[in-house]
Amino acid sequence: MVSLILRNMARAALGLVVLVALTPILWTTLGAFKQLRDIVTPIPKLFFTPTLENFATILGNPTIRDGLVNSVIVVAVAVGIGAALGIPAAHTLARHARRYGDDVQFFVLSLRFMPPVAIAIPFIVIYLDLGIYDSLGGLILVYLVTTISTVIWLAVPAFDRVPREIEEAAAMEGCTEAEVFWRFSLPIAAPSLFGALVFTFVLVWNELLLALTLAAQNATLPVVAASITSLGKEVPWGVINAATVVLVLPPLVFIGLLMGLINTMVRGGGRAKG
Amino acid sequence: MTRQRFIFLSLAPALTVLGLLAAISTAGAVWFSVMNRALRSPDYEYVGFYNYLRLLRDKRFFNALEISLIWELITVTGTLAVAILLAVLVHETVKRPLWRNLICFAFLAPVLLPRVAAAFIWRFLYSPSLGLANWFADLFGIGPIEFLADPSIALVSVAVVDIWQWGLFFTVILVKLLETLPRDPIEAAMLDNARVWEIHAYVTLPMLKGPLISLVLVKAVESLRSFDLIFVMTGGGPGTATETLDLYAYQTGINLGGRVSYASAMSILLLIATTLAFTLIWRAGRKWSR
Amino acid sequence: MKMKRLLAGGVCIALLPLAAAAQDTAQCKGQLASLSVIGQGMPAVTALDAHLAEFNAKWDTEVKITLLGENERRAKARLDASTGAGAYQVLYIDEANLAEYVSAGWVHPLADVVPAEYDLADFRVDLANVASSGGVLYFAPFVGGGDVMMVRKDLLEAKGLGVPKTLDEMVAAIKATHDPDNKVYGWAARGQRGSGMNVWRWTPFFRAMGGEWLDGETPIFNSEAAVKATELYIDLMKSAPPGVGTFNWSDSVEAFRGGQVAVLIESDVFGPWMEDPAKSQVAGKVAYAPPPEPLPSAGWAHGWAVSSVGAKDDCAKVIAGDFVGWATSKEMEQQRLAAGIASDIGRVSTLQSEAYRKSVPQEYIDAVLATGSRTNLLIMASPAWPEIGDTLGLALEELFTGTRDDVQGALDEAVFAAEDALSRVK
Repeated sequence: MVSLILRNMARAALGLVVLVALTPILWTTLGAFKQLRDIVTPIPKLFFTPTLENFATILGNPTIRDGLVNSVIVVAVAVGIGAALGIPAAHTLARHARRYGDDVQFFVLSLRFMPPVAIAIPFIVIYLDLGIYDSLGGLILVYLVTTISTVIWLAVPAFDRVPREIEEAAAMEGCTEAEVFWRFSLPIAAPSLFGALVFTFVLVWNELLLALTLAAQNATLPVVAASITSLGKEVPWGVINAATVVLVLPPLVFIGLLMGLINTMVRGGGRAKG
Repeated sequence: MTRQRFIFLSLAPALTVLGLLAAISTAGAVWFSVMNRALRSPDYEYVGFYNYLRLLRDKRFFNALEISLIWELITVTGTLAVAILLAVLVHETVKRPLWRNLICFAFLAPVLLPRVAAAFIWRFLYSPSLGLANWFADLFGIGPIEFLADPSIALVSVAVVDIWQWGLFFTVILVKLLETLPRDPIEAAMLDNARVWEIHAYVTLPMLKGPLISLVLVKAVESLRSFDLIFVMTGGGPGTATETLDLYAYQTGINLGGRVSYASAMSILLLIATTLAFTLIWRAGRKWSR
Repeated sequence: MKMKRLLAGGVCIALLPLAAAAQDTAQCKGQLASLSVIGQGMPAVTALDAHLAEFNAKWDTEVKITLLGENERRAKARLDASTGAGAYQVLYIDEANLAEYVSAGWVHPLADVVPAEYDLADFRVDLANVASSGGVLYFAPFVGGGDVMMVRKDLLEAKGLGVPKTLDEMVAAIKATHDPDNKVYGWAARGQRGSGMNVWRWTPFFRAMGGEWLDGETPIFNSEAAVKATELYIDLMKSAPPGVGTFNWSDSVEAFRGGQVAVLIESDVFGPWMEDPAKSQVAGKVAYAPPPEPLPSAGWAHGWAVSSVGAKDDCAKVIAGDFVGWATSKEMEQQRLAAGIASDIGRVSTLQSEAYRKSVPQEYIDAVLATGSRTNLLIMASPAWPEIGDTLGLALEELFTGTRDDVQGALDEAVFAAEDALSRVK
């Protein structure tokens, strides 16, 4: 009986927390359909005549489309390379080079201590010489530091937690290191790696300073988002709200897909084990 | 393929790319930090340690250092506390995968917002006369609260946004991590009639020590670069109450004075300070998690 | 008006040498694959989209406008010119950084690059003054202006008051209408730090008290005038909505537009906002007047200039120059008016046109015209200004939010920092 009450209380608490946590998002979504007059009032309005004008402004804006395409390319390639190089490295650090693992892992993290402001100017100068200033390739290159290091950093503990017995058993049966990694460790660690990849994705997806300084025409979404926040002298609250809703959808879909992928991988891993 | 070769092939590409890029940016920053390069003119000359020495006399620099430290503490502990509490709550109360996935999905939304957009949304929510937050405060007879204009709470108000974004995100990661735990020790504890919170405090969370430490450190690094959020919400104000080091470096280096060299020197000092601090934390953390 | 013509004459003479070069320009068609332009989302910029095809066809090029927020725009334009990247042929600059761009040689004088047919002399004098350095026009201003005082007629009448004419009357009106219990505040102003934020609004008070920025090359904005101005500013903020200590212009304008504020002095571009019933709750209740004596009006302008870093070769210069002229031309402004955009007016001919008179209240036009003679660049015209202004803004914000209360001491520190910034300019 007591536990039932407790359980319901916990449910109610969770419901409340979820509501509070999502209020800013819900309020923003609501605001996206409002005219400015209904947004800028001392007493918040729940009922109003909705308008689609804000969305029309956003979707009719070609820079949003270009920004989305640029962001998708840059982030996909940077995270892809980061995963391809970082995950095997992390596995090796966790399994075969444990002696140096800690130090290497820390070194990798320390690469991100430098504030981006200090990175930006040297890179502008070098990129101008190399002729890759204002190119997606240049952006990807500088983002590799973030993606590779974050993937390694977060993937090492994921591989640490793969039970050694499984790998050892596989090795006994004559699997090479590469096979052990690919057929056993990777599928087992996949759910934890999911977090690492999403984290990396979020970091580069939202990166503003380097995108702003190292690219001009090839602006990514954070730069575009920053530009939307001032249309004329007016802060277009409705448009900002609509932009927020529009900008949050593509990454959510992407992460949904990634989640699904990981789930199938886990199932695949289960079969391999059996 | 031999074992040695596998180790080499898996490590070398990643570490080469990282080392090269890191060397370039560090060398570049060190180079500029001993010059007097400003954006205003393309000419510059060697000035030795002038920038560093000036920093040691710069009150704003030390203020920013202090603010950065407080910012780190608030955002990292806040994020972790929110994530642990919420993750356990979700893990215990929501059992159906569909609901769980839906909640995870919703919790991911905040962190996917461009920081600039999130900052604007919250700026408006915080507005003393037009914002939702103060409207609620008014219902309870308090306020108006000057969330961003009152120097004593401005930093916390901004930190709430950071925790809102990252705390909910970490909740999702933790929920996923809790799902991966082996059931045996938990079931053993349940047989011992342990309470739910005891199971988590003594069994599940200690099992997650390793990943938690990694997450905390990586969040700490992320907290070092919050200038876009703070810049939009308060611009570092009121006064310098929310001016962190990366914001100050941005303001001096690119935004206002264009004093590239000064900002570079600041960054190098920050690099050294963080490396020292994080080395200690990392060593302690490793010892504790073993 | 005579003054305007005189000034105009000066600019015209400077235009003459260009006529000789004009004949070669036709060869440039198709020589530049794309023209890169930095922009900020002003209506004058965004409305251009509909007409770009025309320009693209004329030069067989493609205009690419990168829209950025104000802060990002400033950082980006400066980085582009300073590092020699030169990715943009046309830069977007404003009153606060003109001195810096000119002293660094990043922009061409407008008369050297914009064809004479675009009649540079037609730009509003108050804007052209701000867009010029040493008498030479450097950017084509398409938005800007001075200050206007906006008051709520209904609130003032309820207290038996008319529109204030002097500073003292205004202070009295603010105190009389202030009624925080009913969410009506006498005043609103910018408090957030920044050379274009609190410093911008504070400067007219500072200058009205007789304050000067520099004595020779020594900064003296810690004078008695500055202290008096700051004290008055702080005093008025006591009659303002909560949070005013960190208000930006948007916050104060929205507070007024939301019906919470009785008196507001702001840039005149915000005037027409009050009359838009879709966004304003005070439409029809607002009176417009010049700022009360002796407050001067703070002039500002945004516009396009041709980058000497980005437009190096002759054809790039020709096409960039033609773009700046075309995008800010009389015809373009008339087309904007026809499309219902009445906010960005850079040219005298547009102000005088029938179409403009139809779209805004006469009282507003009168107030803007009456303020014109009092509009000037009030900030310090120095390449070090962005930095000095920021330090001063910081000190002011600390005073406004109560972080510190010794006005003199705060200003002394700002001056001390300014000496350092100024010495590095030389």
